[in-house]
Amino acid sequence: MKNKVVFVLIAAFLGTLFLFSCRGEQEKKTEINSQWKFVKNIDLNNVNPIGIVAQENFLWLSDVTNNRIVKIDLDGKIIESFDGFKRPMHMAIQKDKIYIPEYTSDSLKILEDGKVSTYKLKEKPDAIAGVSIDGNTVAVADFYNNRIILQQDNKVTIIGKEGHNDGELYYPTDVAIKNDLIYVADAYNNRVQVFDFSGKYVRMIGWNEGVKVAAGLKVTDSQVIVADFDGNRILVYNLYGKLLQTLNGKFNQPTDIEIVSNKMYVVNYKGKSLAVYQK
Amino acid sequence: MRILLKTGIITLLTFATFILSTTNVNAQTKSETDKTYIKIEVDGLSCPFCAYGLEKKLKQAGSKDVLINLEEGEATMSVPKDQQPTEEELRKIVKVAGFTPKEITFSKTPFKIKQDEK
Repeated sequence: MKNKVVFVLIAAFLGTLFLFSCRGEQEKKTEINSQWKFVKNIDLNNVNPIGIVAQENFLWLSDVTNNRIVKIDLDGKIIESFDGFKRPMHMAIQKDKIYIPEYTSDSLKILEDGKVSTYKLKEKPDAIAGVSIDGNTVAVADFYNNRIILQQDNKVTIIGKEGHNDGELYYPTDVAIKNDLIYVADAYNNRVQVFDFSGKYVRMIGWNEGVKVAAGLKVTDSQVIVADFDGNRILVYNLYGKLLQTLNGKFNQPTDIEIVSNKMYVVNYKGKSLAVYQK
Repeated sequence: MRILLKTGIITLLTFATFILSTTNVNAQTKSETDKTYIKIEVDGLSCPFCAYGLEKKLKQAGSKDVLINLEEGEATMSVPKDQQPTEEELRKIVKVAGFTPKEITFSKTPFKIKQDEK
């Protein structure tokens, strides 16, 4: 009887080990299958892009040097442009509304059907570097105040303060809301930080890879993709911060990432181009 | 008589053109002499967030024509002479923008710079 129990326990243990190893293999296979591969480079000529958002099969770029927003097709051909934005940075899109943070005027503009309006922020920022929208929730990266302003209807939550410890920020340049979490490109702390809606620190991403300047990010359902501006590379993580892939060699000061039709478009600020990748 | 009239008109037009151009030059010179031109050299002006941050802070200090040259790592601007900031004030602004200021030069005439930023 005793031998039987021991045998059952050993069998259960071995079975569990086997299942775990299978799961690991499966994860490995999935990760390998989801590797990004370089497709082409798109020259943008006179566009000096910082931010990028997709609208159906078009891309919008914030042309910071020329104070304008440019709409291009997926081959880089300019369709239309809107002038008069004051140093537009990392944008967000919701349906037909494009949210454009103006870095030097401290205001958040909305471009819809060619008309520009202003979104009312309840806290005054100092240089908005990035914005993210999710339903009625707006998050902005407040660069010089080293914080994220999270505005949900009338409620405002301030996330982070100047510093280098967990939960503290040092010149944040981009922000993304995904699945009730807020991902922050904590640029000059060389990392991405994740917070919940109450402002509580959740985790850090990118520290082990020695990110030089985390200038921009894109969060999908399964990945956190980080643009390392000074490192001239793109780092792909899972949502928990495990490094999946490092992309090198095709970048010249990358600042932002967008994904459309299973293709990844990386903005090269200095290179005035887009590097296109596909899975 | 006709020739005299023609000559008179031509002389008048030439004189008027001369007067106008002199006035314009005087106005331009006066406008330029009313300004102080400033060049600020800074370390670490490579990223656009930093560069346009410096532009923002310098504009808040009263200049309307701040130019940032990323390649050279310098900012140039002009201010009305009666609103000229001190070197100490400028160093403070540059620090607030997140940089370490190097040399700050004041000039009565514009700096010759390669303009790579609008």
